[in-house]
Amino acid sequence: MHSITRNTLLIGTALLACTGRLSAQTELVKAGESAFVQQCAFCHGRDTGGGEDGPDLTRSKLVTEDVAGDKIGPVVRNGRNNMPRFTVTDQELAQLAAFIHEQKKIAEAQKGGRKGVDASDLTTGNIDKGKQYFNGAGKCNSCHSPTGDLAGVAKRNDGLKLFQRLMYPRGAKAKVTVTTASGESVTGERAFMDEFTVALRDASGRYRSWPMSKVKVKVDDPAEAHVELLAKYTDDDIHNLMTYLLTLK
Amino acid sequence: MTFKHLIWLTASTLMAQGITPDILLKPPKDSWPAYHGDYSGRRHSPLTQINPQNVGSLSLAWAFQTGAATQIKASPLLVDGVIYFSTPDNVYAVDARSGHQLWHYAYPANKGFHIGSRGVSMYGEWLYFMTPDSHLVCLNAKDGTVRWNVAVADAARGYWTTMSPLIIRNHVLVGVSGDFDNLTGFLKSVDPETGKTQWRWDSTPPAGTPNATTGGMTWMTGTYDPDTDTVFWGTGNPTPVLNGEVRPGNNPDTCSIVAIDPNTGKKKWAFQPSPHDTHDWDAVEIPVLVDGDFHGKPRKMLMQASRNGYFFVLDRTTGESLVTTTFGPVNWSTGLDKKGQPIPNPAKDPAPDGRLIAPDEGGLTNYRSPSFDPKTGLFIVSAHPSYGIYFTKPADGTFGWAGADYGVWGKGVLEAIDYQTGKVKWSHELGPNGAGAGVLTTEAGLTFTGDSQGSVLGLRTSDGKTLWHAGQGQNMQSSPITYELDGRQYLLTSAGGVMFAWALPER
Repeated sequence: MHSITRNTLLIGTALLACTGRLSAQTELVKAGESAFVQQCAFCHGRDTGGGEDGPDLTRSKLVTEDVAGDKIGPVVRNGRNNMPRFTVTDQELAQLAAFIHEQKKIAEAQKGGRKGVDASDLTTGNIDKGKQYFNGAGKCNSCHSPTGDLAGVAKRNDGLKLFQRLMYPRGAKAKVTVTTASGESVTGERAFMDEFTVALRDASGRYRSWPMSKVKVKVDDPAEAHVELLAKYTDDDIHNLMTYLLTLK
Repeated sequence: MTFKHLIWLTASTLMAQGITPDILLKPPKDSWPAYHGDYSGRRHSPLTQINPQNVGSLSLAWAFQTGAATQIKASPLLVDGVIYFSTPDNVYAVDARSGHQLWHYAYPANKGFHIGSRGVSMYGEWLYFMTPDSHLVCLNAKDGTVRWNVAVADAARGYWTTMSPLIIRNHVLVGVSGDFDNLTGFLKSVDPETGKTQWRWDSTPPAGTPNATTGGMTWMTGTYDPDTDTVFWGTGNPTPVLNGEVRPGNNPDTCSIVAIDPNTGKKKWAFQPSPHDTHDWDAVEIPVLVDGDFHGKPRKMLMQASRNGYFFVLDRTTGESLVTTTFGPVNWSTGLDKKGQPIPNPAKDPAPDGRLIAPDEGGLTNYRSPSFDPKTGLFIVSAHPSYGIYFTKPADGTFGWAGADYGVWGKGVLEAIDYQTGKVKWSHELGPNGAGAGVLTTEAGLTFTGDSQGSVLGLRTSDGKTLWHAGQGQNMQSSPITYELDGRQYLLTSAGGVMFAWALPER
């Protein structure tokens, strides 16, 4: 896969060079490849198709929606989940984006033989058993409803994303109630919490923080129920659940 | 002491400064002369000036800024009052008293993976630095000028390097990385004066050998036992990484701890934490060497908290297993074989529709150092309880990664393991996702590490209680060190591109 990609690029470059019209776009892609290999390829793969833990960018919704780095840029510069932030100039960002889009084009032009997770890979479960688990052993129905919050969930999320969110809804909001020594009680969305500091955003959107040692804190994190299930799931359970959720269109 | 040691001790007295073999064997308290501080890998310091009673007043002595966004992942050296550390393509020399830069060396731009540089190593007055494109560069420690530069592996084939070489007498031991191609892993001994290869040990056969595996990268610094003149080294995962079908069997010497003769590169024994790995769980985590009592009998032991979620205690003279246990959620094994090695469950191999695996690919721990505290007998490791989802299908092929995997959930927990039983004596939550910082313990009964939200922590070793903390602005991605200069003890930590030196207020 890697060598095909590289050869395609090389042939492309060579053809253009022969005609004496090595376009600015090709230069951009070449420069982007060099930077990508150095800084990004370990996690996202040399061909942007996924590496150690980093997602396949050729199948990324964000990349699809990106125009010349306008969506990729903020992620590169601010980091995301486990991804660190990088300092890049506008020019370097344009190069990276050009390379990623080029790789996406190459990947999409290939029929079969491509690594990655397709939505069709994730339909091996049993709908009825999934529904049974949802309403039974999994107790999913104690928080969720197929006609409520989960109505149309399969339309809103693609295959792999839905599968991941089923297991753990990364970024789900937790509620926190802080009671101060004077007896004031504030409830809001948890904004930060470690051993030393707790912070929330109150109903007005204001950010407030306190030293942990001076207040009482109560956390209501619905995602914790997902963590408890991780140790209980069989692989069949998650595939059955997934196949059932895929019916919620 | 062997005759060879004697010769080197004699020779070393002729050298006025820098690193001598006897300094590496018995590091003085005003030094941190090698990656682990000493050969044992315990990352435990005899210093006691900073203690549980006064650690609460620890404050910033200085901060050194590289000025780059690149995260410091190096464990620094401290030699003759100068700190040496690296980031990919860069080496810095900094005054350990003031934090002022002496010199900065920049390696020419290159296309290797710039994922991290774990540190430089020193012999005499020469520094040894490994580059993203698999070169070993020898620098003059006085001014950072290049003495020589040799390729240790072919970067064009997919090798890269990040590690800090292990120096034993006149052997500079270097290892390599390379998971994105089917490559042979190897450990090489290089002459410190000339850069010439002295010997090479291959962890796997050449690519293309029928039914054999490739991989077994040697990307972390090993440890060394001078009494038996043996090097202990962890090896990485087999390749293709997630597709194990084309490499049947245990894939010997991948995901292994190997005992090697530093003079010849000959293997003495091997123990395999992950036979037939299909989850990228390198066994390169520090093989920590401890001499002590085991169930009433003196033993020369080796301990490893492995990426795959298991904690091992071995008799390092033979490789015999003394303890095998898990230190967090692990769901991929059906039990232990007669050597004490986990037996992989084929139902937990990556599959076209995904398999839920604990731990995730980053592992229950990773390369940053654990620490062993002799007084309490606690092995303290930054753990990452986690789940990941692993995929592979025929279309993913049999080359390099050959599949895909994604983290589902994880958190950071510092765990103190009683080595006699493998039981966790205390644990200290470090926050969401994972912390990843290394651990340092001191004779005063303190443990230093980082949490997952940017704080550096000082804990009481006996029970894990927090006694001191400071926000560093980013997560610590390195292993802390400590040293004493002019009667003042410093703690050195890093975050982002900044190195922090902490000390008690001057009187």
